[in-house]
Amino acid sequence: MLLNLFRKISSWFRSILADKTSRNSSPSSASTVFAFVELLYGVWSNSLGLISDSFHMFFDCTALLAGLAASVISKWRSNDAFSYGYVRAEVLAGFVNGLFLIFTAFFIFSEGVERALEPPDVHHERLLPVSILGFIVNLIGIFVFQHGGHGHSHGSGHEHSHSLFNGGLSHGHSHGDHGHGHEHKHSHGHSHGHSHSHGHSHGQDYCHGVFLHIVADTLGSIGVIISALLMQNYGLMIADPICSMLIALLIGVSIVPLLKESIGILMQRTPPSLENALPQCYQRVQQLQGVYSLHDPHFWTLCTDVYIGTLKLLVAPDADGRWILSQTHNIFTQAGVRQLYIQIDVAAM
Amino acid sequence: MEQPYGGRPWPASGPGGGVAGANRRLSFCRLTRYIVLLCFAKVLKAVGLFESYDLLKVVHLVQFIFVMQLGSAVFMVLFQKPFSSGKVITKRQWIKIFKHAVVGCIISLLWFFGLTLCGPLRTLLLFEHSDVVVLSLLSVLFTSSGGGPAKTRGAAFFIIAVICLLLFDNDDLMAKIAEHPEGHHDSALTHVLYTIIAFLGVADHKSKVESWSSLIMPFVTVIFFVVILDFYVESICSVKMEASTCARYGSFLIFISALLFGNFWTHPITDQLRAMNKPPHHESTEHVLSGGVVVSAVFFVLSANILSSPSRKGQKGTLIGYSPEGTPLYNFMGDALQQSSQSLPRFIKESLKQILEEYDSRQIFYFLCLNLAFTFVELFYGVWTNSLGLISDGFHMLFDCSALVMGLFAALMTRWKATRIFSYGYGRVEILSGFINGLFLMVIAFFVFMESVARLVDPPDIDTNMLTPVSVGGLIVNLVGICAFSHAHSHGASRGGCPAAHDHSHSHHGHSHGHSHSDHGHSHGHSHGSSGGGMNTNMRGVFLHVLADTLGSVGVIVSTIFIQQFGWLIADPLCSLFIATLIFLSVIPLLKDACQVLLLRIPPEQEKDLHAALEKIQKIEGVISYRDPHFWCHSATVVAGTIHVQVVSDVMEQRIVQQVTAILKDAGVNNLTVQVEKEAYFQHMSGLSTGFQDVLAMTQQLESMKYYKDGTYIM
Repeated sequence: MLLNLFRKISSWFRSILADKTSRNSSPSSASTVFAFVELLYGVWSNSLGLISDSFHMFFDCTALLAGLAASVISKWRSNDAFSYGYVRAEVLAGFVNGLFLIFTAFFIFSEGVERALEPPDVHHERLLPVSILGFIVNLIGIFVFQHGGHGHSHGSGHEHSHSLFNGGLSHGHSHGDHGHGHEHKHSHGHSHGHSHSHGHSHGQDYCHGVFLHIVADTLGSIGVIISALLMQNYGLMIADPICSMLIALLIGVSIVPLLKESIGILMQRTPPSLENALPQCYQRVQQLQGVYSLHDPHFWTLCTDVYIGTLKLLVAPDADGRWILSQTHNIFTQAGVRQLYIQIDVAAM
Repeated sequence: MEQPYGGRPWPASGPGGGVAGANRRLSFCRLTRYIVLLCFAKVLKAVGLFESYDLLKVVHLVQFIFVMQLGSAVFMVLFQKPFSSGKVITKRQWIKIFKHAVVGCIISLLWFFGLTLCGPLRTLLLFEHSDVVVLSLLSVLFTSSGGGPAKTRGAAFFIIAVICLLLFDNDDLMAKIAEHPEGHHDSALTHVLYTIIAFLGVADHKSKVESWSSLIMPFVTVIFFVVILDFYVESICSVKMEASTCARYGSFLIFISALLFGNFWTHPITDQLRAMNKPPHHESTEHVLSGGVVVSAVFFVLSANILSSPSRKGQKGTLIGYSPEGTPLYNFMGDALQQSSQSLPRFIKESLKQILEEYDSRQIFYFLCLNLAFTFVELFYGVWTNSLGLISDGFHMLFDCSALVMGLFAALMTRWKATRIFSYGYGRVEILSGFINGLFLMVIAFFVFMESVARLVDPPDIDTNMLTPVSVGGLIVNLVGICAFSHAHSHGASRGGCPAAHDHSHSHHGHSHGHSHSDHGHSHGHSHGSSGGGMNTNMRGVFLHVLADTLGSVGVIVSTIFIQQFGWLIADPLCSLFIATLIFLSVIPLLKDACQVLLLRIPPEQEKDLHAALEKIQKIEGVISYRDPHFWCHSATVVAGTIHVQVVSDVMEQRIVQQVTAILKDAGVNNLTVQVEKEAYFQHMSGLSTGFQDVLAMTQQLESMKYYKDGTYIM
């Protein structure tokens, strides 16, 4: 029954979003469905642990859902109110996901500190296979990343996907043994492994960050494996909290650049990729015949790789406005600005 | 008293002789050699001080100083030959020498007395500062021309280190209980007080010396290490290297070695190094390392590093290239230098001034202070009474204060000037901050909801004794906050803002959120906030947060009353459920507004004006059509817009621009760019930047207008 439902909803999602992006998010639908089933079953069987766990999973899914919703919304046509369309929803979703991930990392870290002070009894029987699985999937992620595809790994339950721009980047984070927490909610061992996938649509700048992110994840799952081994063989219970803290740090560090980038876009920052090219362009425009000066230049990113610019030119009274306009458009198109608004002001005689 | 330093200074000529012609590399090699020498001497000095601490346990202080000064004086007289060589000393110089001797005597008395009381490690940390460091510290503290922000920072580090050492260093309680009949001293501060009292009677808790002969060897070591070697090496090094470099390395090395010895001195391995192997090892717990000592040592090292660095003004420049002759060209950017080294106190002062300038940020700031004060009272009380619930509650509140801090920061940042990179200015920070606040409120509401559902199924037994005072206190604080913010509201309404942000007249009054920690049976609520209509997104977010917390504490109190009076355990989860729903509902409009702004929607309340304005533009004489009209609300005060206007070829472009700008300015757009295109331009544009669809549409449009174009397709 579960499988059927899963398949049904998954295919439903796919039919809505018949592009690469949505396929990335199919694990999200899986975990959403799983959360639903868990909730229903929990209510039916009146199991408190299941209910609270399913709520927890819902929260984890919100990030994925946000990414999913964003990739749907960003396909909407522009209308009167939203003259640029909804493309920015992606950036916004990336921002929200980044925030949630930081939040999660913070919680894992604080829990790790708590546990480091007072190591709890951890059920570590299933930790090793799960963590090895996570590691393998991460490795696959690295290799697939090099082909521009995507990979996914999830331990047992929860993943956070983190999608900046077209949802291509998804970031999962699994709490190893959450599935069986009936009596004591979170007092059992958890392992974290997360992987991200990355689509081809990103510019070159993101590749570096994303690759770093994947490497960080892989290191994280290696850490999980090591801590699982330490716990199993030597009974070093402190390995688990230390590992969680390490992973929380890794998540935080790998999220920060992406968060910074999306904040930059939302704040209409001058695109970093244009930062160096723009002064040259200004210079060239000012060298055009009849152009006195250039002022109020604003360049910003609408969504990935779509840059918008506005600037005002002060020109000589006898200058050929049309020629200047087309030349300026040419100059900035070469630099990568696709939508340009140039206001030509004629200087007073 | 003897006069050990009376001789002339050590001659400056090293074995290397003429250094003048030596090139840089050679001098660096030589420097390394001296650094190694310095390192060696400092480590030995630390050893000597630890040794003398052990010695002082068996020898009386005055005797010890006498023997030490005598020994070093004999040695110095033998080596320096002050009487046989050099100039004849005049009478005035004799007086000076005498003064020096007396002062030096008192200083060394105090020094070793401190050594007996505080242990070698702390003495080293406090006493072994080179004169360069101390001088620059004093000049920072007591003169106006301190030498820039870096030095101020160094002085601050120094003071922090001293404070750390005085207050946070729990110097071996056990040993002191045994030693001092008054009872144990917690910190070095009381230690010093004890010292002063005890000093009057020159009290010394020393056993009598059994045999002086066994002490000869340790005394020689101490004299040699502490006084003589250090003196010579230091004078060599400060001649060979710069005094500041010498001071920097020296203090660093001696602190590090002091820390190491402090840890390992009583270790069995180092016993072999010690010149005196004394049987009583029961004092091994004495003057051990503590966190405070380590922290203050780190700060001492930092401050010594900063204070001893020579003040370099105008020496730093960025290399911009090479002149045709091949000499490097430097760019001395005074502004950039100033910016980068802005001192922390000045930064704090300036930002405080900025905060207090504006009404919004002032409100937030005052409330933040109030909240923090309450939190700290709670924390301290919790620590004092050792109540875990209070402590965790306090930390929770501290975490919630972060929302306030973020709001404050955003309110500050909003006023930053636009830069080259952020060409529209930082106004959006406010919206982002409101968005983040709303988002986190939603998360909190979600968790509260989830937990209360879980508890609805199985209401836990709650201990209601603890929570009432705390939640009442929180409620009072939050009520004050709400009063302040609703006062702010009446002021804030006059401030212009982004229309998108506040044309929704939903009332936030009466919403709150509380998160109750059911585990320890008490919950707290706290609120921060500002209300309604006239606020910008940031203030709304902060306000919602506060308000939510207020109602949280109200909910807690109500449910406590219910539980205590009627024993309805279900009241608690019901309250939480209700509150969570309220928060959720009240946050949604905020999030929606923020999202709309972030998604570059046309400001909703100006939508009609803008449409009317566009129609007007269409009717301007000479305008064929317009396309790509984009208007969005950048921040509270900036509404940006861009539009392309197509005109027939024989009109004045400038006139059109002016007319369009005027029309749109009336509609509220204050950052506008109008691109005027004559008709031949269409195809160029469509080829350049728009998609196929647009080209098609435009071509059709043109054809329907029956215009003939001479334009050539450029792309």
